[in-house]
Amino acid sequence: MDFLISSFTEALRLIGSFSPDVVDAVRTSLSVAAGATVFAALFGIPVGLAVGLTNSRLKGFAVTALNTLMAAPTVVVGLLVYGFLSRQGPLGALGLLFTPTAIVIGGTLLASPIVANYTLASVRGADPRILPTALTLGAGPVRAAATLVGEIRFGVFAAVIAGFGRVVAEVGVAMMLGGNIRGYTRTMTTAIALETSKGEFSFGMALGIVLMTVALVVNLFLGLLQRR
Amino acid sequence: MTELYRLRSVTKRYGSNVAVAIDALTIDSGRLYTLTGANGAGKSTLLGILAFLTPPTTGEIFYAGERIDWKSDIVRNRRRKVTLLHQSPYLFVGTVFRNVAYGLKARGIAGDAALRAVDRALETVALGGFRDRDARELSGGEAQRVAMARALALAPEVLLLDEPLANIDRETAGLLEAVIASLPSRGTTVVMTTHDPDPPARWNGGSIVLSGGKVVSPRVPLSA
Repeated sequence: MDFLISSFTEALRLIGSFSPDVVDAVRTSLSVAAGATVFAALFGIPVGLAVGLTNSRLKGFAVTALNTLMAAPTVVVGLLVYGFLSRQGPLGALGLLFTPTAIVIGGTLLASPIVANYTLASVRGADPRILPTALTLGAGPVRAAATLVGEIRFGVFAAVIAGFGRVVAEVGVAMMLGGNIRGYTRTMTTAIALETSKGEFSFGMALGIVLMTVALVVNLFLGLLQRR
Repeated sequence: MTELYRLRSVTKRYGSNVAVAIDALTIDSGRLYTLTGANGAGKSTLLGILAFLTPPTTGEIFYAGERIDWKSDIVRNRRRKVTLLHQSPYLFVGTVFRNVAYGLKARGIAGDAALRAVDRALETVALGGFRDRDARELSGGEAQRVAMARALALAPEVLLLDEPLANIDRETAGLLEAVIASLPSRGTTVVMTTHDPDPPARWNGGSIVLSGGKVVSPRVPLSA
């Protein structure tokens, strides 16, 4: 018990003293997660809208595909992207492997199905009068869709936040595609895994506290939006 | 009178259910038509078809002499001539102005022109001064009037009304009835569903009676 208490105390000291390693990992985590979330929103929101609004017979297949992708293990996504970005891969010449960009790419693939699924759920739960009202007032398909997004904006925000939560908390993609390079691609989650294996439990705990705080803030925000 | 709509062998099916099956129906411009029938007779479906929101399963629709091709931009252009007001209208989040100006904005009308059109429409439904009110905080009757103002601001060729006088207080009903009755004289064709047992006498218009999705009594206007 003394071990845990002393580690926790040391972890708080590391956070309070703004340890450069802690700050670097937090900064990298938040920046790659933010980048991936932006791209996931750009991709996932239109996909969620398209699937939600279509009456195509392929709709069931699309929903199943999105659900499957949402449950994809992070290491599988990491493996797939690794295959493309590795030196022998089709995109190897770009030299992106073991860079923050590679983590953003992997994070985008992880978060997009989540953003799309949450958006789809919001579209399904939207008032059915929104689109006919917009259309009968003369809106074209794009304006009508934009109006729908505006009316269900809290659900769409929730989708984006859920995507951010997925990326910031994952370890597989960051480890496989980032390489856990200190001060460059080391995120909170990969740093926790590495430092704990080296016996630096306090350091891992410090990052764990920060990560849990981020997760708490994200979930509080999500809960707030879902109540609107 | 000029023929505005002509429907020929129009059906609308939802699965095995036939919601509408109309052999022939003509609607002239500048008239007020009441559309009556029991619940499930197909009134709302027909309004959706006339509003170019619901494509029929089979059949042809002509509007102002032009055959409607549901897969082309013609539908969108024609849709802009026609406005459907639902029985329980949806008001968008935001102010009354945003709602009433929505269709104007979609037509590229903004600034002072939009402001004037919105004010004029709101005054028509006795809601002058409501422009900056939150649309979601209005009473049921006020919301109904804002929805009417939103439609009137567009000066549509055709106004389709789904039970506009249901579920509102008598004062609001009287006001909306007067506004609706004045529309044909301004050149707007009106088709409205109602449960009124003898509407033509008061409305001095035409009557379309639906039963089981079929037109059973398309009466001509009492006065032409």
